[in-house]
Amino acid sequence: MTHDPTPFDSRRDPELGAALSAALEPRDHAAFVQRVVASLDRARPESWTVLAGWARRGVIAAAIAALVLGLIDNRGTAPATVAEESFASGTGDTLPPSALLASQDAPDASVVFASLVRR
Amino acid sequence: MAPDVQPPAGAARIAGEDESALIGRALAGDRGAFGVLVERYAPQARRVARAVLADPDDADDAAQDAFLSALTKLHQYDRRRPFGPWLLRIVANAATDRRRRRQVRRVEPLDPELAGGGARPDVDAERSALSQRLREALAQLPERRRVAVVLFDVEGYSHREIAEILGIPEGTVRSEVFHARRRLRTLLDDWKEG
Repeated sequence: MTHDPTPFDSRRDPELGAALSAALEPRDHAAFVQRVVASLDRARPESWTVLAGWARRGVIAAAIAALVLGLIDNRGTAPATVAEESFASGTGDTLPPSALLASQDAPDASVVFASLVRR
Repeated sequence: MAPDVQPPAGAARIAGEDESALIGRALAGDRGAFGVLVERYAPQARRVARAVLADPDDADDAAQDAFLSALTKLHQYDRRRPFGPWLLRIVANAATDRRRRRQVRRVEPLDPELAGGGARPDVDAERSALSQRLREALAQLPERRRVAVVLFDVEGYSHREIAEILGIPEGTVRSEVFHARRRLRTLLDDWKEG
């Protein structure tokens, strides 16, 4: 502290540092630490929050995906039913397409083509 | 009487060899590991907060807020860099925010008798009086200037580290430290001569 400081003096001043340290020295270190540690339970690392956010988004996305798939499934089966009825009525005594599709055995091609030719 | 010259707290810079491991454990949810960091850095954090906020209770509240904030942002910390500057930046910001929010009561100007190097108090109270005068003198400095000088002369951080903590150019840090020292040294010299 006895030397004149230059504007860019990069040496520390031990005397000033010690005086300032004494002036700012906090008390009850243990009590403060205890208080902070006790409050840590209230804090949640952001990484946990981010993961929780992702989990929420995942659930929402899965729900939306399930809904969309459900709608597509419904739309996909409804026209088929109409077509199936129309096809069945046009084919008369022939088997409906659902019966052909449900069968374990390959359908008889002559039955299918015959009905189409007749229309 | 000049104050006892003691090694500044910053001289005992906190060893960083196991900090990365502690932070890793804290990130994994080990609150005890973060508690160790709190215990290590609490004195520094409280002193820096007190450099911003004159009131010690406000300073402790700010330091506590800073530790909680550090925990929530821990995943953003680059473990290849020293933890202290990263934490103290959060502390300084927390203290500044608190000061702005709460409009902490202003410290009264220096007592003219004390400022003029008047009659010295009892020897027993001398040190306490000097500390009080230093706190008052600090409070009269611009906030960035007092934080800079505390980080440099008390905590032992380099100009570059302080620039990182305060988010200002290194040259500005040097200037702030210089002006703060000039004011505080004058006060200390008056005290010694008195």
